[in-house]
Amino acid sequence: MAKLSLMFESRLVKEVPIGSRPVGIGRSPDNDLPVDNLAVSNHHARVFFEAGRLVVEDLDSLNGTFVNDLRVERATLHDGDSIWIGKHHIKVDASGDTPISVDSKRKPTAPQINETMVLDTKQRREMLQQAAAMGERSQFAGRLKMPTLVVLTGNSDQKEYVITAKLAVIGKSKMATVRLKGWFKPEVAAQINQRDDGYYLGPGDKTPLVNDKPIQGPVRLNDGDVIEVCGLRLNFLFRE
Amino acid sequence: MQIVSGGVTDVGRVRTNNEDCYRIVAPLHLFVLSDGMGGEAHGEVASALAVETVVKHCIEAIDNPAVTLYGQQQEAWTDKTKRLSSAAHLANRKIFSSAQEHADQKGMGATLTAAWIDGPKLSIVHVGDSRAYLLRSGTLQQLTSDHSLVAEQVRHGILTAAEAEESQMQSVLLRALGSQAEVEVDAEEHMVIARDILLLCSDGLTRMVIEAEIAGTLQSEPDATQAAQKLVDLANDRGGSDNITVIVVRIGAESKGWFSWLRPGARKHAAENGTAGGK
Repeated sequence: MAKLSLMFESRLVKEVPIGSRPVGIGRSPDNDLPVDNLAVSNHHARVFFEAGRLVVEDLDSLNGTFVNDLRVERATLHDGDSIWIGKHHIKVDASGDTPISVDSKRKPTAPQINETMVLDTKQRREMLQQAAAMGERSQFAGRLKMPTLVVLTGNSDQKEYVITAKLAVIGKSKMATVRLKGWFKPEVAAQINQRDDGYYLGPGDKTPLVNDKPIQGPVRLNDGDVIEVCGLRLNFLFRE
Repeated sequence: MQIVSGGVTDVGRVRTNNEDCYRIVAPLHLFVLSDGMGGEAHGEVASALAVETVVKHCIEAIDNPAVTLYGQQQEAWTDKTKRLSSAAHLANRKIFSSAQEHADQKGMGATLTAAWIDGPKLSIVHVGDSRAYLLRSGTLQQLTSDHSLVAEQVRHGILTAAEAEESQMQSVLLRALGSQAEVEVDAEEHMVIARDILLLCSDGLTRMVIEAEIAGTLQSEPDATQAAQKLVDLANDRGGSDNITVIVVRIGAESKGWFSWLRPGARKHAAENGTAGGK
């Protein structure tokens, strides 16, 4: 049978099965899962089965109900989800004899080529795992690290810059990640674009050099490349 | 900041209905594009609902900034980014609940790529595999990541970008509006400068036309609507296998400089205005 486990940090506070009746969650003691915390509303949320799916519904609580970090008014729950209410969280165990979920009724047919479709979280996880098992050329480890520009020589406002945005600018502009100082520096000297397969350096109003060679259009940066633009030498590195 | 925009949507050469939808709210510098999916005519319902919800929510917030924010927003974001992100969450809910209520709409969904320009700040929110690009200094740069299976595999180093383009799984999305009760929305802020060109497009363009051609067309055609039309024509020439929608936004000078009248096309652009569009 599906159940909810109320946790405070790693401590189990209370466990209740989910039957045909909704499970009430809140500060008031008449709830099935009373949560003793001022951040929790008297009747904060409820969990129930609807058309075979487990659903959590926020009851207009003051501080909100979160499912896996997303604030929800109402959301379908899956096995392993966590409902966060104040500092407590409720683990969802739907692994028992849960009524048939909509997802498992869906036939696992191969996607049609031209018809756009969306994978749900579970399908997505499975497919990526399969794909990961197949793929050997994994730059995975490298890609999890943060791309960083370390200043080797030249005038800049910082010694190193971590690139977090899809588009990072090197230049005098206010928006620049790497901010150049000086009267005749261009607004946008060069720019770095995060693509799916890596980071690309493109020209701005100047043609930057990568490893001493001027670039012709955007080039993909490799770990350790040296970029030179407007008197600045930068080392492109993937860092932990 | 002078902003001139134009948009074009086209059914393409293969499909019989257009499930794309877009809207330009020129006075607000708000640009919204959505590509619907789902059997029968429901992709159209989903994308229209996405665009309508986003535009309505943003306009409402102009009159009353206290309108509820949906989903989670980062503190550091500007009000516009927060509002646009909220609009995406709201659109997700509307499409999701419509699909729950109407059995025949089950499985419908939509992508969303929306941009809002406020002074030099550009807010982008994005779910799905439509795209936003910024052409600056001749370089076309992608401002969004596709939420597709193949793109995810490229990010994990399982496929190369070239292999992804050949893959038969290109239509498999990991995220879309309306497929789940809650959705993760990508949001990012950028600054725009004079002569930047922003492009929003559905995958009907990017699967047919390579980026170098997109960049070339945007640079050679000074009129925003004409540029959008040329890109649509190009996609159709290549087969037009899907619906094609393109919005082109040209960012002009920040203010009238002393010599602005010398710039080629400056007066012509000043005379034009964005067109309201959509299906």
